[in-house]
Amino acid sequence: MISTASFPAPKVVSQFQGNHSPNSRTGIGFRGRISVSASRASTVERAGSRIASTSSLYEVLGIRMGATCQEIKTAYRRLARVVHPDVAVANGQRGGQASADEFMKIHEAYSTLSDPDRRADYDRRLFGQQWAATSGFSGGRPRTWETDQCW
Amino acid sequence: MAEPAYTVASDSENTEEEKSSSTFPEIAIGIDIGTSQCSVAVWNGSQVELLKNTRNQKMMRSYVTFKDEVPSGGVSNQLSHEHELLSGAAIFNMKRLIGRVDTDPVVHASRSLPFLVQTMDIGVRPFIAALVNNVWRSTTPEEALAIFLVELRAMAGIQLKRPVRNVVLTIPVSFGRFQLTRIERACAMAGLHVLRLMPEPTAVALLYAQQQQQTAHDNMGSGSEKIGLIFNMGAGYCDVAVTATAGGVSQIRALAGTTIGGEDLLQNMMHHLLPNAETLFSTHGISEIKAIGLLRVATQDAIHKLSFQASVQIDVDLGNGSKINKVLDRQEFEEVNKKVFEKCESLIIQCLHDAKIEVEDVNDVIAVGGCSYIPKVKDLVLNVCKRQELYKGMNPLEAAVSGAALEGAVASGISDPFGNLDLLTIQVTPLAIGIRADGGKFVPIIARNTTMPARKEMTFTTVHDNQTEALIIVYEGEGQQNAEENHLLGYFKIVGIPSAPKGVPEISVCLDIDASNVLRVYASAKHRGPHQKAMPSMEVRMPTVDDGHGWCAEALHRAYGSTSDLVTVQKKI
Repeated sequence: MISTASFPAPKVVSQFQGNHSPNSRTGIGFRGRISVSASRASTVERAGSRIASTSSLYEVLGIRMGATCQEIKTAYRRLARVVHPDVAVANGQRGGQASADEFMKIHEAYSTLSDPDRRADYDRRLFGQQWAATSGFSGGRPRTWETDQCW
Repeated sequence: MAEPAYTVASDSENTEEEKSSSTFPEIAIGIDIGTSQCSVAVWNGSQVELLKNTRNQKMMRSYVTFKDEVPSGGVSNQLSHEHELLSGAAIFNMKRLIGRVDTDPVVHASRSLPFLVQTMDIGVRPFIAALVNNVWRSTTPEEALAIFLVELRAMAGIQLKRPVRNVVLTIPVSFGRFQLTRIERACAMAGLHVLRLMPEPTAVALLYAQQQQQTAHDNMGSGSEKIGLIFNMGAGYCDVAVTATAGGVSQIRALAGTTIGGEDLLQNMMHHLLPNAETLFSTHGISEIKAIGLLRVATQDAIHKLSFQASVQIDVDLGNGSKINKVLDRQEFEEVNKKVFEKCESLIIQCLHDAKIEVEDVNDVIAVGGCSYIPKVKDLVLNVCKRQELYKGMNPLEAAVSGAALEGAVASGISDPFGNLDLLTIQVTPLAIGIRADGGKFVPIIARNTTMPARKEMTFTTVHDNQTEALIIVYEGEGQQNAEENHLLGYFKIVGIPSAPKGVPEISVCLDIDASNVLRVYASAKHRGPHQKAMPSMEVRMPTVDDGHGWCAEALHRAYGSTSDLVTVQKKI
């Protein structure tokens, strides 16, 4: 058992996340969370926050998986009123970059979940991943599209 | 990182003011600098109030005269406007000219103004001058705007009984970042600090959000989401926004804008009324300027009257032997300007499409700006939106400046006990930003209508074997295929790319727009394989171009050819 093993998490958490959702990667555990706080000093205070890179988009918005479109919009607006840089910086809560990062994450979650096609796509992958993780099947790899087509 | 020089501009006067006003937060004022008219508004503690000049006017003509040694703006001396317009001493339409080079069609069209706009067509700023005692006194749109803003600032300071420094300005949607730097420079010259530059229809959207929130409060309702389409057409620009608002949050879904406005209607009509107008416009003698001025005033007057009556009689003696006596009716006016109106329609359709909103889902259609008084403009907006009537409850001329004043109060950290300032605007990028790659093409990295703040990355590779340099040429625009049809923002090069066959090195380009709308470009060569050699990377704040930027693209091409080009890496799916 190496005591410091949890800290230098793999640098797969790219600083500039593209369109791929965080869940397309393997390893839902806490390792990813730590890698976020370690890779950017400015976000250290958010290490314990709900918005870690590996939480699901639903968790990012703080809603349940079956949330309606209305609930998604409401949650997005509620969060925007707190974390948007215009608000957060004016209230002196945190620096512009930290709140910009947080807002971008929330917006990404919102834009995926508010688009029915992208949401369906995301749900399939999320379900596949959780199923694989709980059954200990194929090392937590998401299902391939061939098997996804079956149901 | 190099800060552009204009942001450090300050003067001793300001530091003194800051000391005296440091005890309470200064509320930023909202300014709507129109192509034709200008207005100022401020949150007075309970509502937005428009400031009036000494002649009790809320709307002030945007112009500057260079009659004497000291130039003066149009904030207070409205009476002499018409006379100075005819003498060539008045400079106006600054907003149409600012930040444009002399190859721009908008600058070319401005040669018909009754002062000097000369173009050499070499990609530099145009030669703009006012006639003062028979001598051309050269100026720039920034200088003219700054002179005007100094007067506005003084007027606001007197009325508010405190020095004014922080401002929120409204800008057209189609303004590129280079143009924004010119606006900021004019403000800095006038001793004003820009808190926000707000696309005009988003300022209107903020006012709409506040009104909707107010209604929801009054009805004790939950405040369900409302979709608003905002059409804003002034003298210089036409802008459209689609906004989704609930609970004081105004989420901009899409923006669309173009340089088309009342000025185009006016110029088209002038050409229509005087078929040989071009020869008149090409010479700028004293008598020609007077003739242009007379034609302009008469045509403008006729267009205004046509908004309220079906036809108008035009009688004008241009003083050079040509007289115009004509009855003009609405039908003729609409026929002459058919293309302008078609463009307006297509802008609305494009904005709805980009917002992914069906026209049936729009709750309110809002038309503002001076041109919204024109019956044809009202009709086309209603037609495209399949509506019977427009949103009421906004003054078309005051909506944008009121929204700017609201944003000014919000951005200054002012709160209102009744929740009237519980507002937030979620903005989107009005233009796409990307780099030149794939053989002179524009490759957008941040698409138009992307929510801000935003950060996007793309990977490129080299086009030649052992290519060790890559030119990163950053453009902004509506996404025209050919890079050069977009606005150049700046360029730099990555050197020291390890020698490799073409297509092997990975060059990552990341664009970041932060919460203050500052654009940064990070470019770096990526590590491949196990070697840990330091790889070249650079971070540059944009824009970096200066006034001569029209030269740059061509000069770069001449100097480099395709030796330092990049191509996009096809994404593996």
